[in-house]
Amino acid sequence: MQGEHWDVTTSEEQSGTRLSFHCWPSNRLEATRCVAPIGALYTPLKKLPAYCSPPSALQYDPVRCSTATCHAVLNPYCQVDYRTKLWTCPFCLNRNHFPPHYAENISEVNLPAELIPQFGTVEYELPSIPPAGPPAFVFCIDTCAHVEELAELADSIQQILNILPEDSLVGLITFGTNVQVHELGFEGMPKAYVIRGNKEYGPQKVGQLLGCSGGGAPGVGAGGGAGMPPPPPGQQPQMHQQQQQSPFESPSTQVLRRFLLPVSECALTLESVLDDLRKDPWPIPSDKRVARCTGCALSVATSLLDLALPRRGARIMMFVGGPCTSGPGAIVSRLKTEDMRSHADLGRNAEPLHQPACEFYAGLSKRHHIKEGGKSAGGKGSTTQAVAANADATSCHVVDIFACSLDQVGILEMGELVEATGGYMVLGDSFGQSVFKESLRRVFRTYDEDAMGADGDPNAAAAAAGGDAGLMQMAFGATLEVLTSREFKVSGAIGPVTSLGKKSPNVSDLEVGKGGTNAWSLGGIDPGTTIAVYFDITNPGTSPLPEGKRRYIQFLTKYQHSNGRTRLRVTTLCGPWYNPPPESDKSNAPPPSGGGYMSNGMEQPSPVKMSFDQEAAAVLLARVAVERTEKEDVADVLRWIDRSLIRLCAKFADYTPDDPNSFRLSPEFGLFPQFLFHLRRSQFLQLFNSSPDEAAYYRYILNKENTTNSLVMIQPTLLSYSFNGPPQPALLDSQSVQPDTILLLDTFFHVVVFHGETCAAWREQRYHEQEEHVAFRNLLEAPQADAQMIMDNRFPVPRYIVCDQHKSEARFLMAKLNPSVTHNSEGMGGAQVFTDDVSLRVFMEHLMKLAVQS
Amino acid sequence: MFLVNWFYDTLASLGLYHKNAKILFLGLDNAGKTTLLHMLKENRVQAHVPTLHPNTDELIVGQLKLKTFDLGGHETARRLWQDYFTTVDGVVYLVDAIDRGRFPEAKKELDALLTSDELQDVPFLVLGNKIDMPSAASEEELKYALGLMDTYGKDSKVDKNNLTVRPIEVYMCSVVRRMGYKDGFQWLSQFLS
Repeated sequence: MQGEHWDVTTSEEQSGTRLSFHCWPSNRLEATRCVAPIGALYTPLKKLPAYCSPPSALQYDPVRCSTATCHAVLNPYCQVDYRTKLWTCPFCLNRNHFPPHYAENISEVNLPAELIPQFGTVEYELPSIPPAGPPAFVFCIDTCAHVEELAELADSIQQILNILPEDSLVGLITFGTNVQVHELGFEGMPKAYVIRGNKEYGPQKVGQLLGCSGGGAPGVGAGGGAGMPPPPPGQQPQMHQQQQQSPFESPSTQVLRRFLLPVSECALTLESVLDDLRKDPWPIPSDKRVARCTGCALSVATSLLDLALPRRGARIMMFVGGPCTSGPGAIVSRLKTEDMRSHADLGRNAEPLHQPACEFYAGLSKRHHIKEGGKSAGGKGSTTQAVAANADATSCHVVDIFACSLDQVGILEMGELVEATGGYMVLGDSFGQSVFKESLRRVFRTYDEDAMGADGDPNAAAAAAGGDAGLMQMAFGATLEVLTSREFKVSGAIGPVTSLGKKSPNVSDLEVGKGGTNAWSLGGIDPGTTIAVYFDITNPGTSPLPEGKRRYIQFLTKYQHSNGRTRLRVTTLCGPWYNPPPESDKSNAPPPSGGGYMSNGMEQPSPVKMSFDQEAAAVLLARVAVERTEKEDVADVLRWIDRSLIRLCAKFADYTPDDPNSFRLSPEFGLFPQFLFHLRRSQFLQLFNSSPDEAAYYRYILNKENTTNSLVMIQPTLLSYSFNGPPQPALLDSQSVQPDTILLLDTFFHVVVFHGETCAAWREQRYHEQEEHVAFRNLLEAPQADAQMIMDNRFPVPRYIVCDQHKSEARFLMAKLNPSVTHNSEGMGGAQVFTDDVSLRVFMEHLMKLAVQS
Repeated sequence: MFLVNWFYDTLASLGLYHKNAKILFLGLDNAGKTTLLHMLKENRVQAHVPTLHPNTDELIVGQLKLKTFDLGGHETARRLWQDYFTTVDGVVYLVDAIDRGRFPEAKKELDALLTSDELQDVPFLVLGNKIDMPSAASEEELKYALGLMDTYGKDSKVDKNNLTVRPIEVYMCSVVRRMGYKDGFQWLSQFLS
């Protein structure tokens, strides 16, 4: 175990997991001293290569441990006694009999897939749960947007209709002053039901207003029913004819016949409605904002799905071009004299509409979760059943927000709804941008185009996609449960999760993020969704663990695949413990040279230290920091980061006390301070020049992405292109800006190609168009091609910026650089950043000074 | 803090206590609006990415509470400007004094603002920023380029209730060197009430 090196990339590739430490200290005190959170970043639906997971889902139910409180799934780390046909659960040490059909055939050479040693992850397609059917999509279109914007949006949605699987159901809701539900099943002419936009509507009310209440005659007529508004000026009153319907038809069947239809049946109707999409006809006085009832539209869409497809995967796709100003969920008054909420207003609770709006949107998400409550209450008995019932209570309905506006639209308020349902957020300034258009297309990505075949081997791609090739990557109604061996417990999770309130014995009292449970609802999920799970090592310091003792984690992810089947993915992880040496006289011993922490005469660095994954640790810490900003002042969070970093360095760096010059970090820790330096400066923690909506958006995406992507957001990557050879990774530093180089910056949200001033001047003089300067043309083209590659594999599609040094858009790069050269500094080399911020060098000097203090 | 002091002194001498004022920061992209706002708020220079959503902030200086709106300056973002014209008390219009190629564009946008009905009586402070750079235009050159040869006058007596001339004035400044804008704000503060 000593000196065991830990290959983080392999771990991520083989199990979709990154841990901050691979080898864990065996007692709580020592774990606290490690400062960095002990946790895992887990990507449940990551496509795994065929050598570490069965190529396609197993078509049978998993074998589970029979202990009532455990129910772990059989996995390769279970000890199997082939003679007595028993297996030992590594989590509770209980001995279980194999089921008869296993016992009959099992031997050392004949193993079921889930016991094959390299298959740490196994996916089951549960035959006991009937298929839910193809997913449904309800498009909610804001008709208050500009006319050109509406046309762009309609065009994008029409394109989507062509790529949807033919059996997917679609529905259309448009909204402005009121909500229109379009009856796509009504042939011959477009027909829509108009619902007044000033209040919330539950499923029953919506069923009634749409004439789908199940046999009863709905009270409709021009301006008749309670929710029916008067017709807008200049329009003929719409006649809501009574639908000829069988009295025995259930509301669900009626909705499915009239409002939610397979795309193959209603594409033409839908396209013609989109072609004729008009701006909201109600007049807008010059001192007022347009009336936009986003909240009401969401409640109608939610109710429609609740009514028709309570258990089937569905997305409500909200396309919104401005703030909600009327009805429930309004974030700003229609009067222009009232301003949109700012960070300052929010900070002192001075915004009267903010809190009610948040509660309204959160309430919509809870409606999903509770609606199955009646049934699940019956699930008494063993814990297993209770969990199953809980899992059923998870919504299969996802809410996505596509916000394209120059101003805020209320992402902050709607955020909780999107997060609770596991939806997507895309923030752009126009529906014509590729940020929106291409992102929308990528929501429907299928397993064919998976990047797994990136090495150019089509067989590898096919194998990776397994039986899923051609199916959409999106999945619904996911839940995650975490099992642990007994020496540690679950503190909580951070990411797009909602607690399921499952208080298993392995739930820690110390809460991090959403704690007090070991199971969460995720809602919508895709192969990129990544959850941070935090652990608490509870083993007391008095009892060192026996040599060879291992720690086990099992992740159980249950979800509805886009093929309608319910699957359970099981990932089991195993890792070493480390008993720290007794620290009898550590404080008395004079520290030998080059060892601040390792001062007990130990030559070998501790395996805990050697197993540090600084990237995962930075992301785990960043998620905690961002989570804390919800309740704490940002300044306090920054101070907490500083303190953590100082303590971490004091613990793991090599130094002589009180001598900053002796400070050395081993390679495992070398980049960590830099990550936190950039995190402190990032838009996740700096609110200036970032609206409440922007802050909510960036934080949401950070909490959802995998380690690599999150790290790019925290510390953007920079590549430098010059005539002196192939592109080189460059320091994110103002000294990397050189007149004759081109830089490629990737911040995840923006991809920037930056021409140094000489390159820009050459290009202005059109050298690249001359035959003798073909090398310059290649230099200009190389970063653009690489930028395209970055953008091809990303969701949301980043904004692409090509800019020149000293020009306006160069600020996308300059603001991200470490300001080693500023307008105050004398030294040359690199470009000046106009800032009074401290540079990384100054930051490190302070860190070293404080870390070595005795 | 220097800002508090000079503002406080000025305003106190003018008797402008307990005033709220809504001020817009407008101008083309890269003129320095966000940097100026950050400077006024934190007294520090910071590099910013181009503004996407409007930045709302509150500066409390002396007894004067300024609610400032820093709006994005790139071409599409300018469409949003008019949404913020209601009940504005003052406009600070920044111009990048080294980017001569964009003076015509800056003039066009300024003219559009000056002819807007909603901003008819609103005082305009035009700041020619970045004079720390040797290549920056002079005040004369900038005034000429913006068509502002005849302005209100930096030392003219102010009678707020009897304005015969539109209050508009040009000041040259360098936000990163903390130069010039102070005089501009002192001039503007005479009209805020």
